[in-house]
Amino acid sequence: MEGLVATGLIGISLGAQYALLALGFTLIFGILGVVNFAHGGFYVLGGYIAYATTTHLGAPYPVAVVIAALGTAGLGYVFERFLLERLVDDHLATLMLTLGLYLMMSSGILVVFGPESPSFEFPITGVLRGGGFYFPLQNLIVLAVCIVAIVTLYWLVYHTDFGRALRALADDRAVAAAQGLRPKLLFPLAFALATGLAGLTGALVTPILSLAPHIGDPVLATSFLIVILGGLGSVGGATVAAFIVGLIEAYSAVYLGGSKGALALFTLVLLMLVIRPSGLFGREARGA
Amino acid sequence: MLAVENLEVRYGGIMALRGVSIEVAKGETVLLVGANGAGKSSLINAVIGLVNASKGSVRFAGRDLSALSCDCRARAGIGYSPEGRRVFSTMSVKDNVLTGAHGRGKVAQREAWDWLSGIFPLLKERAAQPAGQLSGGEQQIVAFARAMSSFPDLVLLDEPFLGLAPVWIARISEAVRQMQARGTTILMTEQMARPALKLATRGYVMRGGEVRRSGTVAEIRDLALAEEYL
Ligand SMILES: Nc1ncnc2c1ncn2[C@@H]1O[C@H](COP(=O)(O)OP(=O)(O)OP(=O)(O)O)[C@@H](O)[C@H]1O
Ligand SMILES: [Mg+2]
Repeated sequence: MEGLVATGLIGISLGAQYALLALGFTLIFGILGVVNFAHGGFYVLGGYIAYATTTHLGAPYPVAVVIAALGTAGLGYVFERFLLERLVDDHLATLMLTLGLYLMMSSGILVVFGPESPSFEFPITGVLRGGGFYFPLQNLIVLAVCIVAIVTLYWLVYHTDFGRALRALADDRAVAAAQGLRPKLLFPLAFALATGLAGLTGALVTPILSLAPHIGDPVLATSFLIVILGGLGSVGGATVAAFIVGLIEAYSAVYLGGSKGALALFTLVLLMLVIRPSGLFGREARGA
Repeated sequence: MLAVENLEVRYGGIMALRGVSIEVAKGETVLLVGANGAGKSSLINAVIGLVNASKGSVRFAGRDLSALSCDCRARAGIGYSPEGRRVFSTMSVKDNVLTGAHGRGKVAQREAWDWLSGIFPLLKERAAQPAGQLSGGEQQIVAFARAMSSFPDLVLLDEPFLGLAPVWIARISEAVRQMQARGTTILMTEQMARPALKLATRGYVMRGGEVRRSGTVAEIRDLALAEEYL
């Protein structure tokens, strides 16, 4: 029983991390119509920025996390504004650009930091024990930060002028621009928001899981899977799907073993695509 | 207020506007009539900047708009209600309306909302409902309010009566009169000449990407009604 609850808690904290990653991914798809193949790269970069600022510059970990989030957001902004923006309507070109950026990021990291995993540890250890459950403190902290970030993101998207403008651009870009919304400012900001979230997640999570130049691939795959499960472009769907995936992963890792867990997940997604091709919360595909 | 000169718009090999010149003075309601494919939307879209002109110029309030992007033109004081409404279907009615007032601050936004929801009670009743769930006529009201929420000097209305029943045409006409009462300058297009002529002060009859006749409502009436049945 204790194990069941503990695994559930781990699943929820995994789900919160996945939610942050998938929300960024789905925002970029929903607003710009771009599949960001570099999304995992920003996660890895966030991890390495946090690692470098704590180890080489001696900054406290919380400061390093903030720097990682801002750094990845800044890079995302510049990339969108100066490269992606010119070709944003050409799907093949954006695929090449984001994929190219990902390759540059991971080989850049490889050159600078080398192929081995650096030792990057979460500064707080210990386990929280209560009646019938236990929960590592580091996961609790990550969970808390992720939930604050998710709530903030929802508030931004649904309760601010900025979010309203993004939703309008996502719905009908031409008409939104004809109402005076500036795509040249708002698109890079949206992209920066998403990549900053990926960087934030990387800085938070890599000290617990692992840090290495190539770990962006599974991040991209998981983001993809969640976003398809939740319905392309749906913010609520991505959030719910992220927690479902986190829980399935946690329980299957304990009760089925790692590889069977992945099998269970992909089976679920396949079934989902057969039963509800538009995903849990997806709308009917809309002509762009 | 608006001066379009010798405007040419091409879509690949198709020439949609062949050197069109029109003028709209402050406070006027100018009507563009013509059958399908006459080039009305192309003209409206070239004014707001959704399509590029290959030749000619668009001047607004003494300023040459040619080099400006679509969003800059809107912020220069032009409201736009597109053909087919094109409301943001997943967004609430209120969010749709306030999109037009983006970046103007909470005070101006509240002012716009109070004013528009006062004129159109529908907006208040349906404020939280996704605009895509509204009927065509209701969506037209939302598209109007969205175009007006920035208190523009000039409003472009592209076929506001499209696909609407007579009751709704009367309501939309009333909405246009409300804008006129506020002193708003309007450039509108319509295929349905009869109700549109009642609103306009002046008009242009278009065919094949050219202006066939221009003048007061009385002067263009016969040709406008004849074009309607082409
Ligand atoms: N995006 C486009 N690509 C190619 N041709 C176009 C495009 N938009 C319009 N055209 C062509 O340009 C010409 C003028 O079209 P436009 O939409 O301006 O006419 P309209 O007077 O608004 O017609 P309607 O009353 O049907 O709305 C037509 O021949 C049309 O086929
Ligand atoms: Mg038209």
